[in-house]
Amino acid sequence: MADFLSAYSIQNWLESCPQAYLEGTEYGHQPGENEPEDLLANEVLREDAIRTTVQLVVGEKCALAASSGLINAAPDEGSKCFLATQTLDEARHVEVFTQRLIDLGVKKKDLDETIRRHANPNLVRFAEVLLEKVDKKDFVAGVVGQNIVLEGMAFSVFEMLKAVTDAVNPKFAHTLAGTIADERRHVGFGENRIGSLIKQHPERKPEIEQMQKDMSYHMLATFAASFRNNPAREQIEQVKEGMRESGVNAEYHGANLSELSPEEMEGVLSDTVLEEFKVRLGRIGIDYQTPARP
Amino acid sequence: MNDPLEAPVDEAAAAQQRQRYELADDTGFDEVPKKYRKFYRRWQGDGDSLAPNEVICPVCKVVIRSTRELRPGDRVYCMPCMSRLVVVRNGQGMLEATVSY
Repeated sequence: MADFLSAYSIQNWLESCPQAYLEGTEYGHQPGENEPEDLLANEVLREDAIRTTVQLVVGEKCALAASSGLINAAPDEGSKCFLATQTLDEARHVEVFTQRLIDLGVKKKDLDETIRRHANPNLVRFAEVLLEKVDKKDFVAGVVGQNIVLEGMAFSVFEMLKAVTDAVNPKFAHTLAGTIADERRHVGFGENRIGSLIKQHPERKPEIEQMQKDMSYHMLATFAASFRNNPAREQIEQVKEGMRESGVNAEYHGANLSELSPEEMEGVLSDTVLEEFKVRLGRIGIDYQTPARP
Repeated sequence: MNDPLEAPVDEAAAAQQRQRYELADDTGFDEVPKKYRKFYRRWQGDGDSLAPNEVICPVCKVVIRSTRELRPGDRVYCMPCMSRLVVVRNGQGMLEATVSY
């Protein structure tokens, strides 16, 4: 066990993250990279990008509150060290996605109001379910909710967004690549640390399974609101048509996203995340609970 | 040991039959310290395939590469997500990794 926890050191994080894939970056992307001109010039698409980015900021603010809140609840120094590095990762994510809002034209004085206006209520509820556990200093439930459910969702959402933006928005794709690399460590910690702890506390399983079910429902409702009835639907279809004409294959889990309708994209993302939950929770001995579909 | 292959199974009996691999220095993977980067690469999606010295980490989906051919029972380490894994053969006869907690 001592050997397993020794990997969670500040030195290891320094060499793997700031001195590795983040070296030379500015707000997560290469210096000089900008949002595409055609995105900034199209008011409907720009508003859609702001709306999407706000959900990322809200999710990352939740992750920042959860990872920092869990440090003092952690039962060992290795976990405290890891959560300290994760806290900095999450603070960086809040910063880079907030910077993207500014890059998209949101004035600094309007940031809070913009986030309040666009934040999906289901995503806010998703965060509240997790932060209730964190407030109670419940380390096991907090890490499952944060590092398996929240980070598992973020991992899949970021990968899908990266697949869509790789060819059309290198700046945002580079920002996402760095956050995906961070998420690898976070989901790894969740599985490895809780995988051993849950064996010592099997009586916690029912409560944790209910939390996963509740969080999953709010996540699916957030996806539904993001993909269905999107006011930018027509403009997004035009972008996808341009991608198809250029031969861009936005591949995500075997599907070419440029060929899918918003409802089909929602289905692919939802199924991918839920399947990941099922597999990850099953590995650590927790029974996945199927949520209601909004 | 630098190689992610931490504990080969049946080392004494199988050492001579294990194929060795020269790993390219730069796979484009930059999520671990420089000296370890050749041991990992990103999975490229549907058109990609695994060599006999490679296995996918089920936790973070990165491809782990060894200087030696991998076999069921081998223990490997995934540095990007810090998971300890055991190589097994799945129902389709392919090698895959399971997490060891």
